[in-house]
Amino acid sequence: MNGQIKWAYGVNQWKAGFTSFARLEEIERALKVTAACGFDAVELNAGSGRWDPIGRPENIAINFGSAAHFRLKLAELGIHRVSSTFFDPTVMSFEELHFGLMSTQPADRDRIVAQARIHAGMLAEVGGDVLVVRPFPSFWKEGALDETRMAAAAACWNAVGAMAASLGLKTALHVDALSALRTADELDRLLQLCDSDNVGLAIDTAELTIAGHDVVALYRRFHERVLHFHFKDALAVDTLGEYRLPNAERAMIAAGGEREVQRWFGEMGSGLVDFPALLAAMRELGYAGWIVVESDKGPEPIASGMMLNAWYRRHVLERAGDLSLR
Amino acid sequence: MTTPKLRWAYMDHWRIDTPQGQLSQYTSVKRFDAFLKQISALGFEAIETFDFHLGPLRELFGSLENARAFMQERGIDRVLSLFHAVMYDERQSAPHVRATHDHIFNYAQHIMRSSAGLGVQNFIVMPAGLYYDVEPVTDDKLRACAELWNRVGKMTLDHGVKTCCHHEFFCGIRSAEQLRKFYEWTDPRYVFLCLDTAQHVIAGVDPVDLYLELHERCAAFHMKDTKHVDLVGDYRRKPDAEVMATTTPRWFHEMGTPGGLVDFPALMAAMKECGFEGWVGVEHDKADVGGGNYPESTALAAWYIQHVLKKIYA
Repeated sequence: MNGQIKWAYGVNQWKAGFTSFARLEEIERALKVTAACGFDAVELNAGSGRWDPIGRPENIAINFGSAAHFRLKLAELGIHRVSSTFFDPTVMSFEELHFGLMSTQPADRDRIVAQARIHAGMLAEVGGDVLVVRPFPSFWKEGALDETRMAAAAACWNAVGAMAASLGLKTALHVDALSALRTADELDRLLQLCDSDNVGLAIDTAELTIAGHDVVALYRRFHERVLHFHFKDALAVDTLGEYRLPNAERAMIAAGGEREVQRWFGEMGSGLVDFPALLAAMRELGYAGWIVVESDKGPEPIASGMMLNAWYRRHVLERAGDLSLR
Repeated sequence: MTTPKLRWAYMDHWRIDTPQGQLSQYTSVKRFDAFLKQISALGFEAIETFDFHLGPLRELFGSLENARAFMQERGIDRVLSLFHAVMYDERQSAPHVRATHDHIFNYAQHIMRSSAGLGVQNFIVMPAGLYYDVEPVTDDKLRACAELWNRVGKMTLDHGVKTCCHHEFFCGIRSAEQLRKFYEWTDPRYVFLCLDTAQHVIAGVDPVDLYLELHERCAAFHMKDTKHVDLVGDYRRKPDAEVMATTTPRWFHEMGTPGGLVDFPALMAAMKECGFEGWVGVEHDKADVGGGNYPESTALAAWYIQHVLKKIYA
């Protein structure tokens, strides 16, 4: 089963604002750096706005001609697969004309499914496997979950899962450090409510560690439902419960909270996540799917974080576990 | 799987962005560790550096043997080359001035004696002073340079190290004619060429032609690109032709840069044709000029090696 683990790299870290990662040569350079680091697959990021050339299907069409031409361009640069697309409905969208949709609100469900369909359609066209979604808004916006809102969210993601499955894709729920969903028991409940054929869990090693989880234990508990991974390290744990702060994206993640944490996320091997133990568990339990490495919110230059992750993968993870390269 | 004919080394000009501004990676073990891992991740197996880094390496690791063991644990086999950082001055260090030869020789010998343990194979020098210090470039001055490097090259070989001459575009030996004479008047047993692709292009010399002509003398490479030929005499600009030139604020770019003038595929074909086997160095000094950064330039050069050059010769 080990051979079925496939490695990819997230593109999310390259786009810091609307002026960055907007020119095609920037995208070409980023993908060359990715390929040079030994990653021949990428996870795309569902974007919004005319300045995100690979974030939306209409922009792909304008800039590359078609999804098929985009695949050819990727291959020319050494990127032979698209693993997945990350989609967060709570982020405003110019095209869908909203300032953030809530999976916990039944009234938003159809719009979330419609928006997800656009990104899932492009993902299917470029040969991807997994639609990775943010299942809940941040705690500071949503508050603690109750059964009603949990059920609403599950219904939303079941609808998205069925839509994605019709395109040959799986849907993976990616819980982050600020999520309204906080506990493993809540996660258990969510997964019980979700269709196990189409909807599973994405484990983001850093986000869940920051939120106070032991990711190895979490994986062992939910491994039958885990169908995607994001690998990045966590340099600190939110011990003060600062996910509750108003505008926690800024107050906690960007500004570092009361402790002024300089960086929450780090390159693999630099922080609190026990990647060798996690990979051993994944091998033991027969994980077959993507590992998407991320340099999310890493320091400049971005290439450095990617190169350090590439070294760790090759010299620590693959050497320790004899994992196949692809 | 066949053994690769070429192994790739990285000539180290990096600076790292830190909370204290740009710093060298030789300022701490942690920074040096991160540097090694990054270039190792891209497939480089050796570094090249300056001889003034011998002291910091010894201080950081206790000995050069320890430094090399640390490098090898991260996938970097050796310090392939030391670039001899000479402050050219007619009072003590000017290859065209014979009275300074003993000083240069003794300094080079000191470097040889104090660099054991790193696996150094090449000693890279600019074989003449700055052009404006040397001009007019006469045959006698070229012969004086040749005499010096014959002497130094014989000495370094006793340490198992080849002396390789690296012709910056502002060096006193830069034109095709000057290069021809210099290599004719140096002993092929002792003096070798370090082919710096961009420097030759800037100076109006075709590096592929030069390689074909001197391939038996060529023991080292600095592969980098440029978008400019010096057409206005920037090579004579005082005090520093490289950083004060009017032609461009940035002379050097990584291989594969759009608009680059070096024909790397032709050079690789020539290396294959001539049966070159061994280390090839990649360099891009001043990669950060104008907002670039060293890691990205290095990764882009590695991409070019992996996706273009290895298909021609590996």
